[in-house]
Amino acid sequence: MKPRVGFFDFTCCEGCQLTILNLEEEFLELLELVEIVEFREILQAPAAALDIAFVEGSIAGPEEAARLRRIRERSRTLVALGACADNAGVNALSHFRAPEELGESAFGRVVEGIEERLPRPLECFVAVDARVPGCPIDGREFLGLLQALLVGRAPELPAYAVCVECKLGEYPCTFEQGTVCLGPVTRAGCNALCIAGGDRCRGCRGLVDNPRSQPYRQILEQHGLTVEDILAEFRIFNLPPEKS
Amino acid sequence: MNRILTDPAGRLPLEEPRWRRLSRAEIEQFVRALQSAFEVVGVQEQGRRLTLARLEDPAALILEFAPQLHSPKKFLFPNWEKLFRFRLGGGVLLEPERAATPRVIFGMHPCDLHAVQVLDNCLFEGEADSAYRAKREVTILIGVDCVPDGHCFCTSMGTDRVAEGFDLFLHRLDGGSYLVQTGSRRGEALLCHYAPLVGARPGEPPLPLQVKQCPTRLDLPLESLAPLLEKVYEHPVWEEVGARCLGCGACTMLCPTCYCFNVEDRLDLNLAGGERVRTWDSCQFDQFTKVADGPEFRGNQGDRQRHRFFRKYKYLWDKYQRTACVGCGRCSRECLSRIEPVPLLNRLFAEQARPAPSLSPGAEYRPQLAEILYVAQLTETEKLFRLRLPQPIEFQPGEFLEISVFGLGEAPFTIASAPVAGAEVDVVVRAAGTLTQAMHRLKPGDTVGVRGPFGNGFPLEQFAGRDVLLVAGGMGLITLRSLLLGILARRERFGRVLLLYGARSVGHYLFRDELLAWHRGGELDCRFAAGQGENPWTVTRGDITHLFKDLDVVAERTSAAVSGPARMYRSLNPLLFRLGIAEDRLFLNLERHMKCGLGKCGKCRINDICVCESGPIFPYARVKHLKEAIER
Repeated sequence: MKPRVGFFDFTCCEGCQLTILNLEEEFLELLELVEIVEFREILQAPAAALDIAFVEGSIAGPEEAARLRRIRERSRTLVALGACADNAGVNALSHFRAPEELGESAFGRVVEGIEERLPRPLECFVAVDARVPGCPIDGREFLGLLQALLVGRAPELPAYAVCVECKLGEYPCTFEQGTVCLGPVTRAGCNALCIAGGDRCRGCRGLVDNPRSQPYRQILEQHGLTVEDILAEFRIFNLPPEKS
Repeated sequence: MNRILTDPAGRLPLEEPRWRRLSRAEIEQFVRALQSAFEVVGVQEQGRRLTLARLEDPAALILEFAPQLHSPKKFLFPNWEKLFRFRLGGGVLLEPERAATPRVIFGMHPCDLHAVQVLDNCLFEGEADSAYRAKREVTILIGVDCVPDGHCFCTSMGTDRVAEGFDLFLHRLDGGSYLVQTGSRRGEALLCHYAPLVGARPGEPPLPLQVKQCPTRLDLPLESLAPLLEKVYEHPVWEEVGARCLGCGACTMLCPTCYCFNVEDRLDLNLAGGERVRTWDSCQFDQFTKVADGPEFRGNQGDRQRHRFFRKYKYLWDKYQRTACVGCGRCSRECLSRIEPVPLLNRLFAEQARPAPSLSPGAEYRPQLAEILYVAQLTETEKLFRLRLPQPIEFQPGEFLEISVFGLGEAPFTIASAPVAGAEVDVVVRAAGTLTQAMHRLKPGDTVGVRGPFGNGFPLEQFAGRDVLLVAGGMGLITLRSLLLGILARRERFGRVLLLYGARSVGHYLFRDELLAWHRGGELDCRFAAGQGENPWTVTRGDITHLFKDLDVVAERTSAAVSGPARMYRSLNPLLFRLGIAEDRLFLNLERHMKCGLGKCGKCRINDICVCESGPIFPYARVKHLKEAIER
């Protein structure tokens, strides 16, 4: 019997699931290996037990937390899919504003039920077995992780920074152009997509395991950034530990 | 084409390299002709940058380019290289390798040609790396002149020009044409086959070597890099560099000679097969030295940078007499933290360098005058001299002075007095040769020449808190007297102190009054031996080894200091080890004729160790491998 796989989403844009659907031919080949039993983007009916649950999005309220726990209970392996699920992503920027202010800016009025310290990543609520970082995820990395799970190999993420893939792509360093970039401390695996496209790295894949924060901070300061600027740059995608 | 590439002698240099003129248009025709049989890669503009890539249009080929560009390593040793394919299920099937693509790299700077030779050294050694070899053999290398930028330091590395290791080399001439130099048999064949008009052209005289100017220069010769690094392994600079390093690995990715790699399996999506690939790895990365179920043995970023520098400038130099750095400047050009080899090496060199050339050459050999304060006859042949030096000195027991009598010369003498800072020191002189006999004739008020102190003595601190076993043979007691006085001055810091002293006869004993006082004072346990002569003290008869019979020491808390003639160590060391003394707790005095005291003259060199620089006091563990130290 093929492993049974489900896709779920919480507070997110569903872009990571779209990335998977956009794999097209490879997605069809994937169907030879696994049976997709739940996928709101393409299927309706819920299923019972799952071998692998891919969960996109961050948790923004108690009812989401309860639903996540139910998914966890019936899944052998649970994978955080994308930045929102992995470290709360851009959603976590709300941690730095008061709930009234957030309601005001989003809806033009004070909204009840916006909780402080939310949204938060999946791992604050349930055990997460593996993760695919990025906003959105890299389709190939998703396939690689699925393969690893299917053959029983421990999934691995690159331990090095985006700089490596940027150099391999022979892109000019963004710092050379006077632009600040999070590449030196951000986990590789995206093939420096944003830099290839002429942008800078904003750290959507999260920090490497061992970010060299001190020398990095010095470099940012040499480029005229203050501590506040540096924190703002970090916070776009990286929820500080004391907030999670 | 095939014949050109398969000629086993194709890569050999020509006996007489030929130089022929060709125009830019002829170069483009040459490229177009080559494209029929080879993939031609060359520098061209892509997007916002220059890159070395497969050339479609020969007109796009750029031959004058700045060095800010990835090296041709990516074609000879690519980041992603399939080693083989495998299939799973129903038995494993390994697919054979496919032949490498015949390729011409059209336009390599001299530094990058040198880098290929480094890769050759490393990858052909022992079991040759066949994936690299396959590419190397079917890749034609065509060099081109460069203009260094501010990061280049090829002129310091001797890589600004290249005499071999290329098939063809293009030298730019004023007016836009080029002189092509043939560097190999297959280069010549290639030119004659694919650019027959140029090939048939008569040769021209070689260009005079052009002098390049790199603003970034090493202050030391290439040959001195490895010896310099040898001395700075523990230098704090590595920690400083480590604290600045981002660990991004850009230096190694861009380096034209870095080739460390990882090997992993990539599965096909259907999981029915896959390929084993190698990808570039880096000594700067986390996990590079990770051991299964254990920590990384080089987890500290400073240690990783040190490793990179040692690989580049020392380890491979020691092996191949070629640095693995070609001075291309890519690592410093790309480093956000500005970790740059040349300023770093220059700084280390400046710190190590001796003081700037003296205005008075030979000053280090010029003694100062010391006054003799006091002379005492110790034995028939030995006198003690107390000297007043022109300025106070500090020294450890075991260090020595060079003492001269002008007109007769200079010789080393161990300081026999207590290791306290001051201007008065004792030396003991045995009248043996003309110099020492002349010294014996000197009286208080006379002057001698003095240089020093020199050398490294007993590490008194390492004896503190422990029992001390002192073993002296003959004049060896002079050195140990200094150590013993140092110990007695702070007796409470040491455990039991035991002195074993042997000499030819009791009449040959030095410091007899002190020996008796020590023996009676009870602060230390003294045992004496003498081989012959009268025996007024009723000491043990025989040589010093007799004192080891029934010797009661607690080996694990004992440090030993031994000083005597070299032959004494041969018989003593085994006895000491039988007692259980640890090799690093046994200190030997290996005095030789330390003529200059400056580590230069070579007279005191024992195998590869210079006694006056590293000794004369050594822990046994440090010298046990030296065949000349104890065996003879």
